[in-house]
Amino acid sequence: MNPQLDENQGLLQLQLHHNLWAFVQLIESGEKERLMELLRERLIECGWKDEMKALCRQFVKKKGSNNVTVDDLIHVITPRGRASIPDSIKAELLQRIRTFLVSAAP
Amino acid sequence: MSSAAKIGHGHPRINGHILPQPCPHLAEFRSRNGSKPFRALQDCLRVKPPGGGAAIRRDPDEVARCGMCGDAARPRLYACVACAAVSCHAPPEPSHAAAHAESMPPGHEIAVDVDRAELFCCACRDQVYDRDFDAAVVLAQTSASKLGANSSSSSSTSAIRFQHPENLRKRRRVDYRPWVPDLRERALVGNGSVPLGSSDSSSDFPRGLRGLNNLGNTCFMNSVLQALLHTPPLRNYFLSDRHNRYFCREKNGVSNTNRRNGANSDVNGKIRNCLACDMDDIFSAVFSGDRTPYSPAKFLFSWWQHAANLASYEQQDAHEFFISMLDGIHEKVDKDRGKPQNPGNGDCCIAHRVFSGILRSDVMCMACGFTSTTYDPCVDISLDLEPTQGGSAKMASTKSLHPCNGEADCLNSRHNCGTSTLLGCLDRFTRPERLGSDQKFFCQQCQVRQESLKQMSIRKLPLVSCFHIKRFEHSSVRKMSRKVDRYLQFPISLDMAPYLSSSILRSRFGNRIFPFDGVEPDTSNDLSSEFELFAVVTHSGKLDAGHYVTYLRLCNQWYKCDDAWITQVNESIVRAAQGYMMFYVQKMLYYKASEKQVAG
Repeated sequence: MNPQLDENQGLLQLQLHHNLWAFVQLIESGEKERLMELLRERLIECGWKDEMKALCRQFVKKKGSNNVTVDDLIHVITPRGRASIPDSIKAELLQRIRTFLVSAAP
Repeated sequence: MSSAAKIGHGHPRINGHILPQPCPHLAEFRSRNGSKPFRALQDCLRVKPPGGGAAIRRDPDEVARCGMCGDAARPRLYACVACAAVSCHAPPEPSHAAAHAESMPPGHEIAVDVDRAELFCCACRDQVYDRDFDAAVVLAQTSASKLGANSSSSSSTSAIRFQHPENLRKRRRVDYRPWVPDLRERALVGNGSVPLGSSDSSSDFPRGLRGLNNLGNTCFMNSVLQALLHTPPLRNYFLSDRHNRYFCREKNGVSNTNRRNGANSDVNGKIRNCLACDMDDIFSAVFSGDRTPYSPAKFLFSWWQHAANLASYEQQDAHEFFISMLDGIHEKVDKDRGKPQNPGNGDCCIAHRVFSGILRSDVMCMACGFTSTTYDPCVDISLDLEPTQGGSAKMASTKSLHPCNGEADCLNSRHNCGTSTLLGCLDRFTRPERLGSDQKFFCQQCQVRQESLKQMSIRKLPLVSCFHIKRFEHSSVRKMSRKVDRYLQFPISLDMAPYLSSSILRSRFGNRIFPFDGVEPDTSNDLSSEFELFAVVTHSGKLDAGHYVTYLRLCNQWYKCDDAWITQVNESIVRAAQGYMMFYVQKMLYYKASEKQVAG
């Protein structure tokens, strides 16, 4: 039995538990919803929403409005949408989450 | 729309938008649930403050989660309208919403997106639309914005109730009827006119193309004049003698002797200039058939008198000249009428009749949702180019994927090069903008300065839209000026519908088909929001040492007007040019104008 290994495993387990708890806290406290609102605002401001809209319009034009479902649109724009989020917005959200986790720590 | 909701031709429309047909499951739901199937849902709607979108009401501690997998982190959660069970739907994962519809007896197919309050058919796996549902949502959103912080105030303006702009009488649309002269009119036309001479040697060029001599750094004037000389409504106005310079001068008491001497002075020797008369002179000269370059010296002199501060042989800004010139025409013509008119309705002078539109500005208080709306006339729209990377949180241009307006040569590969487009600029112009803490707006409902959200839109489109790209930046702080050379892509055909106030306002409510009467239908219909490009004024070179050139589109050919030199050019040259001012005319008018062959 390797005490070092056990300790590492123990720490890992603790970390996992903490992450899970933190994630749950985020949602349960309503913080996730607040963050979503903030994210929405930022994505509108920087033009990301307009671009996604334009991509959707283009796709619908190509396929014909009779042949497109919401799922299709989401499938098409998700990879491009994810890739084009400005770093500054990612950074801002991460910072907010970090702050929340620190303040909500048990 | 899925194949289950096929939309055929001649489908019903509301406000010019296609009304989607319900899918069979929605239709069945409606028939099974009586006249007001979604009435009860109205109580379940909650509006996110302030002035936000509608969502399904939840207790503050309650978090929506999928009944089947318990997941609360799903991006799309749907609540069944029959039993309120919440399920997730996030392909490619198996759809619990669809599973719910299948496992339950018929009647559980329709669900509501809990975050967006939009209808979804779990069997068809697609969004569906219903007028009554949208009516309930719109009602919930508008009453929420009425209440705000203090409900009782009768002066509170909801997001729906608008003030009509002054002097904007609703004109009844009159159907176009082609005019055919009767015998008497035919005789009149025959007696009162002289057929234009037979085509001259340079008949390759359409009539009305004539070079303008540069009188000393006057390319700023020449370029704008060329655009105006071929602005269809303006050209038609002057060529049909609607502003007769002889009558105008006589009315102003310009004495005979002085007139013969070519001066514009009245009996007392006072100079009475009329820019419209001078425009009339230029129109006559340019459309006379004479191809030798014309010197607009008289016009320049008249304009100097109007814009005394700009009178010099220095290079001026073409856009500034444009504004100043329209103003000059307005001032003189308006004064003649006696009673000053509001330029908003375009009845004051030909300049405003052609170029004047109305902009709407909505400022919404972030605290209570109270919205203040103002209308302002405008003769053009000045657009900012995107800021360069590095400055702000705005989209870096290399990452942006910009649309083209359905142009044939717009391939997917273009989208990754980060080009700025005119449509992108217009998107930005009509985007809601947060007024920062240093620009707090006084909210009438809260009675204090609050942070606000401002959004621009177009209430009334002009006959001719002039877009001015702000390429010249003057910073008084840094005491320097610079020119932004970034290329801007502009379309040949442009649909302004998404930037109209009705579209912008409608989009605040999400994807709704309810025609909500509060939204004032624009005085234009579908057709008159489509525009065609006919002139581009470009600037090349540096801020203080540059040159203006105009490209004109006549009978679908492009011509380059470089002071005295006119040459025919390929459309690709124009597309690649650095646009500074772009002129678009309403398509309906444009077709009428270009189909007519100029007699010759």
